[in-house]
Amino acid sequence: MPRWGMVIDLEKCTGCQACTAACQMENCRLPGEMWQDVLFYSEGEYPSGKLTWLPRPCMHCENPSCVAVCPTGAAYKAENGAVLIDWERCIGCKYCMIACPYGVRFYAEEKQKTQPDIRDVFPAKGDKVWDPPYKMPEQVQDPKHGVGVQPKNVVSKCTFCYHRTSKAPTGLKDLDPNDPATRKFTPACVVTCAPGARYFGDLDNPESNVRKLIAEKRGTRLLDQTGNRPQVYYLAGEAPVIPETRSVRKPKQSPET
Amino acid sequence: MTSATYSDALARYADFRKTPAGMDLALMVVGALTGAVGLAYVFYNLMEQGHAAFNTSSDMAWGAPIAFYLFFLLTSSGLSIVASLDSVFGLHVFYPVAKRAVFLSLICLIAGFSILALEIGRPFRMLWSLPFSFQVRSPMWWMGVLYSIDLVLLFVKFYLIHVGDWHSRLSHFVAKLSFVVCILAPGTLGLVFGMMAMRPAWYSNIMPMYFILTGFATAVSFLLFFTSLLPRDKTTAPNVDHLYHEILPRLFFVVLLAVMGMRAGQVITGLWSNYEGMEANWLELSSPFFWIEIIAGLLIPTALMVSDRIRRAPMIQFVAASLFNIGIFCARLEFLIIGQKVPLFKGYWAGYVEYWPSMTEWMLIPAGCGVFLLLYGAGNWLLRLSETEFVENGRS
Repeated sequence: MPRWGMVIDLEKCTGCQACTAACQMENCRLPGEMWQDVLFYSEGEYPSGKLTWLPRPCMHCENPSCVAVCPTGAAYKAENGAVLIDWERCIGCKYCMIACPYGVRFYAEEKQKTQPDIRDVFPAKGDKVWDPPYKMPEQVQDPKHGVGVQPKNVVSKCTFCYHRTSKAPTGLKDLDPNDPATRKFTPACVVTCAPGARYFGDLDNPESNVRKLIAEKRGTRLLDQTGNRPQVYYLAGEAPVIPETRSVRKPKQSPET
Repeated sequence: MTSATYSDALARYADFRKTPAGMDLALMVVGALTGAVGLAYVFYNLMEQGHAAFNTSSDMAWGAPIAFYLFFLLTSSGLSIVASLDSVFGLHVFYPVAKRAVFLSLICLIAGFSILALEIGRPFRMLWSLPFSFQVRSPMWWMGVLYSIDLVLLFVKFYLIHVGDWHSRLSHFVAKLSFVVCILAPGTLGLVFGMMAMRPAWYSNIMPMYFILTGFATAVSFLLFFTSLLPRDKTTAPNVDHLYHEILPRLFFVVLLAVMGMRAGQVITGLWSNYEGMEANWLELSSPFFWIEIIAGLLIPTALMVSDRIRRAPMIQFVAASLFNIGIFCARLEFLIIGQKVPLFKGYWAGYVEYWPSMTEWMLIPAGCGVFLLLYGAGNWLLRLSETEFVENGRS
C-alpha cells in the first residue's frame, strides 16, 4: 500500500488559486470553506514591498494531533496515508479543529461570509448541508471517508481526493496528471495546477518522483517543530518564502503600520 | 398496595405534602419563567438556523456555550469536593452544607451536560459513539468517562445522604471515590486545553490545577450565595451559624486570594512572552470580559471579604458571591477566546479572529440559570437540603 504525499514547488506556484477552485468544485464545498487555500503574506514598503503566498492543503500528517484528540475515533489515518473523517461517527465536538496546527478543518454550521446564504439558494435534501448544483455522482460519495456533500453538524477536511487516489492500481510510484494512465486517480488540485507546481506520489517508494524531489531540492515541512510530520512538502528553492510561524502579526515595517 | 400507601412511601423521600413558600417558591417561579423564555428563544433559533445561530466559526470553534459548560462542570466538581471533605479529611465542620452541596453539584452537572447537548453537533450519536470508541489518547474521551462516573457517584451519594446513611462504610467509600473522581475530572478538563501545544495561550501544565482551583472557588461562592438566602435566626444551630458566618466567608476569601495569585501568574507570563500566539494576552486587555473578571469577579469580592466583621453579613456574602460568579463566567469565556484569537495558519491578511456571542448564545444564560434555580428551589422544597447528620442524631 502506498503512502501518498504531496510536493509543492513554490518557485513554480503563481498563487492563481486554481487549486482552490478545483478543490471546491470537486468536493462540493460551500463558498469560503476552502479545504485547499492559498495564504498571502505581505512585507515591507513601497518600492521594496514584497508579496508572497503559500498554497496550503491539509498536511495529512504522519502523526496527526487531530486524530489523537478525537474522542470517538471519527478522525483516522487511512491505509494510504490520508487523514480522513468518518462522517457517520463524527459528533461535531470540534476538538480536532482546536488541535490541528494548520487550521485545515471546517465546520459548515456557521454564519456564511457571503450572502445570500448558498444553503438557502440550494436547500439540502435530507441530512445534507446543501444540494449543490454541481456535485459528484451519488455512487462516488462516501461518508465513511468524508467524501461528497457532507451531512449537517460534522467536521470536514481535505481527503487527498480519496475517491480518486483509493482507486489507483497498486504498484504506482507516482500519480502524474500528465500521464493519461494515472490522471484520473490524481487529486483535483494537482490535476488543475497550471504551472505544474504540484507533485503527488508514494513517499515510501525511494524511486518515486516526490521522494527524489524532496531529496534533491531540500523539501521542507510546515511547522515541523509540532512533531506532526506532514506528508506535504514544500520546495522553496532560493527564495525563503515558507512562513516559519502561523503569525498574523505583521512585521513593523509593513505598509499598514 | 393502595395509592395512600404509595403516597406514604413516597413522602419518606420527598416532602411533596408541604406547600412551597417563601424563597423556595420565589426561586421556582423566577426560575421557571426565565428558563422558559430562555429555552424557547434558544430552541426556536436552533430549529430555524441550526448552529449558525451561534457566532462560532471554523476559526472560533468553541464559544459561549462551552464557557457555560466549563462553568457548570467545574463548579459541580468543586461542590462535590466540599461534600466529601468530611470523609477524606475529617472536616466535620462542612456537614451542614454537605447535602446541599451534593444536590447543587448534581444539578450543576446536569445543567452542564444539557448545554453541551445544545452545543455539540450530534449529541445523540455521542451517546454510543464516545463510550465504545476507547480513544484513550484523547483527553476529551477521558473527560467524558470521568464525568459520567461522577454523575453516577453523585446520584448514589445523594441517595445515601438522603436516606440518612452518613456514616456507613459504603457511604464513606462513595464519598472518597467521588472526591478522587472530582479531582481527576476537572483536571482532565484542564488537560483538554492544557495539552494543546498548537494553542500557546492555553498550553500549560498548570491548567488542570487552575481548573480544579477555580472550580472549588465557584463551589464555595455557590454555597455562600445559596446559604445567604436561607433564613437565619436564633434558632439556627451553633455549628450551622458558625459555618455560615465564619467558615464559608473565610474560606471564600482564601480561595479568592489563591485564584488571584494564579491569575496574576498567568497574565504576567502571557504579557511577557513574545512567543507566537501569546499576543492574545495583549489583545485580552481590550476585552470587557477580562476587566469584568478582574474588577467585578476578583477585586471587589476580595475587598468585601477582607474584614471579618463585614463578611459575616448575608447581604455582603450574596453580593460578593454573585459578582464572583459573573466574573468567573466572563473568565471562562475570555479563556476560550484567547486560545483561538490568533488564527492557526491563515496568512497576514486574515487578521485576528473576532468573536462576540450571538443573542442565542446570551439567552443560554436565562435558560441555564432559570432551569438551575427551578431545580434548586424544588430541591430545597422537597428534599430537606438543610438536613445534617448532627441535627438528625440530636447532637447539634
